[in-house]
Amino acid sequence: MINFFSLEAFKLRHKLRAWLGPLLIMILVLIAFPLSIDISQYDLNKFYFSVIVVSLLMISFLATESIFSEDYEDGSLEQIHLEEKDFYKITLAKILVHVLFIGIPMALIGSIFSFANGVSLAEAPKIFVILSISTLILFNVFAFGSALSINKGSMLGVVASLPLALPAIVLLGRGVRTVQYGQGFFEVSVLMAGVALIVTALMPIIISATLKTHLE
Amino acid sequence: MQLVTADNLGYSINEKRLFHNLTFSLNSGSGLHIKGGNGSGKSTLLRIILGLTSPSKGGVEYCKPNLQVSYLGHKNAIKHYLTPMQNLELMFRSSALQNAMKWMNTLGLNKVQDELTANLSFGQQKKLALIRIFASQSDLIVLDEPFVGLDNASRDLLNEFLQKKLASDTSLILTSHIEPNILCSELVLSGETDD
Repeated sequence: MINFFSLEAFKLRHKLRAWLGPLLIMILVLIAFPLSIDISQYDLNKFYFSVIVVSLLMISFLATESIFSEDYEDGSLEQIHLEEKDFYKITLAKILVHVLFIGIPMALIGSIFSFANGVSLAEAPKIFVILSISTLILFNVFAFGSALSINKGSMLGVVASLPLALPAIVLLGRGVRTVQYGQGFFEVSVLMAGVALIVTALMPIIISATLKTHLE
Repeated sequence: MQLVTADNLGYSINEKRLFHNLTFSLNSGSGLHIKGGNGSGKSTLLRIILGLTSPSKGGVEYCKPNLQVSYLGHKNAIKHYLTPMQNLELMFRSSALQNAMKWMNTLGLNKVQDELTANLSFGQQKKLALIRIFASQSDLIVLDEPFVGLDNASRDLLNEFLQKKLASDTSLILTSHIEPNILCSELVLSGETDD
């Protein structure tokens, strides 16, 4: 497992566009939003979280769009299948590496921008925690979408996996409200962490079966 | 010693039968050259033998537990955004990596080891992919059109390597339109028929 993790990290580190691109787009969206519309600081403080949440959703999809397609197209998945017989470990490694390289920095960017838009310094780490957990859930869900549509373009994956992502967004919204109103953060963050753990344990099994079907 | 047996294999796609009732076995140290025209099901048969594709009928059995298989198909399984050296680091661990680097020198890829693989010629990329076969320890080597894109010297090297492997009890299954210079039995697929 550690071997897969280090190999995936090695690959993603060398694909600058794959991890830096989504992060730059997120920064661009978060900078451009307040500049592009005429909005008072009071309103901006209220609505900025929505922008962070929506950009997190979009960028999570973008970051996982080609998570398996490269290995599928160049024949690496066949080689992995011959060695491992299933794709559970490689799927888990890929998702965790993507969360580490893209998801966590996204959460950091989101919490920094929320601090810049009115959240206190003490509350910013809470935003970081719930955004980090959300990226773990979203990356799992969109990785499933990516596996589903590995040889059919990514739109089918979006359509198929978006309904699964919406509960995660609802949870994230609840989490943000607990930070805004200063109560219930622990309960919601534990609930989110629990959901993230279950999703992270189960989704690679489903993705593994999906990839195996595509390989045939 | 028998290594692989295929019993009554059949494969159909879109109501067309690519092949049916194929029964054969492969012993350690023996080779099988699968022949046939384009679309006759050679690559599909290889994938069935490897367990990548399920047959419509029959089955393949490996007679040795934990059989080590090296495979090179149509796809090279190399990363174009990495250098040849980095690709080898992805494919092999420590001791095997040393062996792989020796093969890289033998194949003349050491001159381009720090260039991006995307910038290499088709033949050079094929050679890089073949190092996966050259530097691996395996009981069975499965190759799909391994000679395509190779210059004469590399073809001779591959033929010589495969001969040595057969002599050292490794088995070989390959498809090739270019006649290999090795002693192996032949299996000819005639192509699709109506179901």
